[in-house]
Amino acid sequence: MIKNQTTITFSLVLAILFLFLAGSLFRLQVVEGAKYQRIAESNFIRIRRITATRGEIYDHKYRPIVQNVPSQNLYLTSGKIKDLNALSQFLQRNFGIADKDLKELVIKQRFKTYEEILLADNIPYETVLTLSEELNYFPELSFRIGSTRNYLYPNHFTGYVGRINEKEYGLYQKEDYSLNSYIGKTGLERYYEVLLRGKDGREIVQVDVKGRSLQLFEEGGNIEPLNGLSLILTIDNDLQEFVSGIFPEGMKGAIVVSDVRSGGILAYVSKPDYDPNLFMQKISPETWEYLNREEKPMMDRIIYGTYPPGSVFKPVTAGIGLDRGLVTPETRLAFCSGGLKVGNRFFRCWYSGGHGSNNVIDALRLSCDTYFYDLSLKINMEDFHNYVGESHLYGRTGIDLPNERQGFFPTTSWYKKTFGKQEGVIGHKVNLAIGQGEVLTTPLQINAFYAAIANNGLWIQPHLLKQTAGRGRLTREQVMPLVKKRLPMQMQTLRTIQQGLWSVVNAPGGTGANARINGAKIYGKTGSAENVMGRKTHAWFCGYLVKDKPEIAVTVFLENAGGGGAMAAPLTAKIFNYYLGNLETIKQVTPLPPQFKTAEGIETEEPEQDTKEEDISPAETEIDPSANQAMEENNVH
Amino acid sequence: MFINRKKFDFVLFALFLLLIIVGCIVIFSASTTVIGKQIHLQNSWWKQILFAFLALGVIALLLRLPMPVFDLLVVPLYILNILALSLVFFTPAVNGAHRWFPLGGINYQPSESAKLLTILMVARIISKENLNEYRQILYGFLLTLLPVLLIMLEPDFGTTLVFWAALIAMLIAAEVPLFYILLCISPIVSIISSVWFPAIPIWILILVILLLKAHLSWVAITVSGIINVFIALITPVFWMGLKDYQQNRILTFMDPTRDPLGAGYQIIQAKIAIGSGSVFGKGWLKGTQKNMNFLPEHRTDFIFSVLGEEFGFVGCMFLLLLFIAFFLRLIHNIGELKVRERKVATAGILAYLMFQTFINIGMNIGLVPATGIPLPFISYGGSNLLINSIAVGVVLKYLNERGFIK
Repeated sequence: MIKNQTTITFSLVLAILFLFLAGSLFRLQVVEGAKYQRIAESNFIRIRRITATRGEIYDHKYRPIVQNVPSQNLYLTSGKIKDLNALSQFLQRNFGIADKDLKELVIKQRFKTYEEILLADNIPYETVLTLSEELNYFPELSFRIGSTRNYLYPNHFTGYVGRINEKEYGLYQKEDYSLNSYIGKTGLERYYEVLLRGKDGREIVQVDVKGRSLQLFEEGGNIEPLNGLSLILTIDNDLQEFVSGIFPEGMKGAIVVSDVRSGGILAYVSKPDYDPNLFMQKISPETWEYLNREEKPMMDRIIYGTYPPGSVFKPVTAGIGLDRGLVTPETRLAFCSGGLKVGNRFFRCWYSGGHGSNNVIDALRLSCDTYFYDLSLKINMEDFHNYVGESHLYGRTGIDLPNERQGFFPTTSWYKKTFGKQEGVIGHKVNLAIGQGEVLTTPLQINAFYAAIANNGLWIQPHLLKQTAGRGRLTREQVMPLVKKRLPMQMQTLRTIQQGLWSVVNAPGGTGANARINGAKIYGKTGSAENVMGRKTHAWFCGYLVKDKPEIAVTVFLENAGGGGAMAAPLTAKIFNYYLGNLETIKQVTPLPPQFKTAEGIETEEPEQDTKEEDISPAETEIDPSANQAMEENNVH
Repeated sequence: MFINRKKFDFVLFALFLLLIIVGCIVIFSASTTVIGKQIHLQNSWWKQILFAFLALGVIALLLRLPMPVFDLLVVPLYILNILALSLVFFTPAVNGAHRWFPLGGINYQPSESAKLLTILMVARIISKENLNEYRQILYGFLLTLLPVLLIMLEPDFGTTLVFWAALIAMLIAAEVPLFYILLCISPIVSIISSVWFPAIPIWILILVILLLKAHLSWVAITVSGIINVFIALITPVFWMGLKDYQQNRILTFMDPTRDPLGAGYQIIQAKIAIGSGSVFGKGWLKGTQKNMNFLPEHRTDFIFSVLGEEFGFVGCMFLLLLFIAFFLRLIHNIGELKVRERKVATAGILAYLMFQTFINIGMNIGLVPATGIPLPFISYGGSNLLINSIAVGVVLKYLNERGFIK
């Protein structure tokens, strides 16, 4: 066979290479075979995910709102299953895991049999103790400490986390989620998932059955997890608790308190509410029914409820009238004899006794519908639509929460499309002028609008995140810039409206007298919106407090509670009083607690934002306090 | 019939079939997972059988193809393949690499066909009469460099090594004197020897002795010696100039245990699986390590670990002997063939298959770095099986039609 130099060379190379392989195989399988058999039996060389600690959530004084608490978790390694039926019975008996679910899971994981699957979390410690004996029969099961979330009070802004579901896993698999991962489902937990989550690490597990290191690898190859960032919110826990406490028992509605100069939300209450901790356990059918009852406790009425604003909308109508020169502050419009006849329809004022003929300030003070009916006849429909839009009363505010709804304000073409080509808009416009008809707003949009009026026309995007803490300290602006825009109102118009809002609360005959308090100037507007949800009107009050500078804007909204002046305004007064009484405490800057000082290295932008935030005060820069003073004196006369 | 009973190499064909059958048996096992008493099966094993039949069909077609047509096709196909390699960059990346053309469910990987076509092309060019050794080496080098550069850009480093192994074998078969080849590869050995300082003088000594035996002039020996010493000494300087992450990448390639979460993890798992198979193995379908699916690629690159675990040292030796018999038969055929081009091409095919076998098994038992080269005829993968079978088919065709032209 060997014929010449070429074939000799090739044969030689073949012999050398394969002898080399045979020799190595002999060493690996025959000489060291026993050793590798031992390692294989322990079958414990694997890469394990080290879950990053999720960031926590705190109020602006670093008091906790959402915390991590340790929990006992049960994991399954499907490749070690000896008897699937016995396992299924055991799990059914102790953890209520259905046979069908288990088998489905096992099949889904059949080509990742080495990977641990999280079967159950939040297992009571007693269960762990009682079952530890029995667990010896099931080497495929193991208990390990993980962590779960604890929500300190029921609310609508934190949201909650849950195990990743199939749909989410499909969407986010690339972003390093595993089937065991938790993911924010709603609220801030979902909105700031990327910040809160951090980045999971990896470790190589190389221990035998007795826990001794197998030393197949050098130590130090592990990838450490990067913990998630904690969120510091603008929420004040004390104020939140107070507002939640004064909310009338059994009623539905929402209260928002915001800082007018920063746009930060201080209290965010939507009732009825629910306890996010319910979602940390398996939800029983009764709980599910309770959460989905008629009152809709899961619904966030602040951003997801859209309602007719009623009279709290009147400043917008007044604004466009003044801005476009349709009226001057002194112009008196149609005589109110309990309503106004437009065409062949009679539109009634809420006060059948009639208000007489009024200028804009008195019309606001008395909430006289007739004035606005008459004004509406002068307003161009498309112009109205745009003006409302520029006032951010439809369109999302962009608050840092998922599922915000838009609100609605119609156009001529919308009416034509909906009611037919012959439909006129005049009658609709009359209704829109007093915040009735087709216009819908969320309580948050109303709050942001009034905060902007207080802030001399600068509209600041409402938001909950103040800064992050932990591994990196970022201000809200660094996370995502805040939108700041001027309202369409001219400065002179703004003054007039402010004057009107002042007289609503403080002048004789004002509908918002119930909101008045001592020690600060209160501005505001009542609203009693007729609606399709019930016979009683929705009660609105929206106002703001000025003490030297404008401070907070409060929106109270009560579904089908009756009149705004009677129902909503007194609650607002309580909140203003509380705020004024605790002004020092609320505004006091809390020093950074030590646990946040150990920033683990990255991007520590040195934080002076506490003082910086004080500086963002357009109220100071764009209006001199004397103007306010003058306005007030004007009014007393 | 298209088979010439006197000339057709039934032995080679039988060995080839045996290898494929062993492959299917191991792939069947690698596709199963046993949980409790239930067996879950992935559909890869019958796909492999389907491809095996397809491969046999292609070989039959190849044998029928008139030799002049076959000879005419080599150059245009090589050029087309180079084009395909350049166009593959415009396909969407899969795992960060541009390697595949998605052709209706089947992914065509131009780097696979490039291996065989480059061999045939190089064999054609360097077998021309009246070429001196320098031109043979130069042309062979250039024709190989072109696809290699394109494949390295994909990026796919492991595959390119195959090309060089084939080129060296073809130069040997083309009777280029050995010392030329030695001179060509000596710089590479010099670079490797610089890792450990005492290795440098030893290697230079060996080089000088070998060149002396080749009756080279003293001047030539001195020049090549100086060049190699220089290369060996300059390498550490280059090394220092590299960035940390670049150094790390090379070190991890040489020693995968430095990266226990990546390549090192796979090699350790393969070693545990093979080692725990011990002398007689755990039995077909009974591999516990395989069953835990520790190795994500145990049907493809790490198929040998399944064989080692389930059939033990005995099974591994059986497969090694099968491969040895197969390669010896190919070497025998090199001697049988008289047309220079066919002889050279067969040598290229031999080296191409032998090199892949060695690298793959070596990688499974932790001897060589993990490079992503599959085990010929055994690993799961349709296009790989197809191209390897065609390579065997080419040799079978040469033998079937030998003496036809001369």
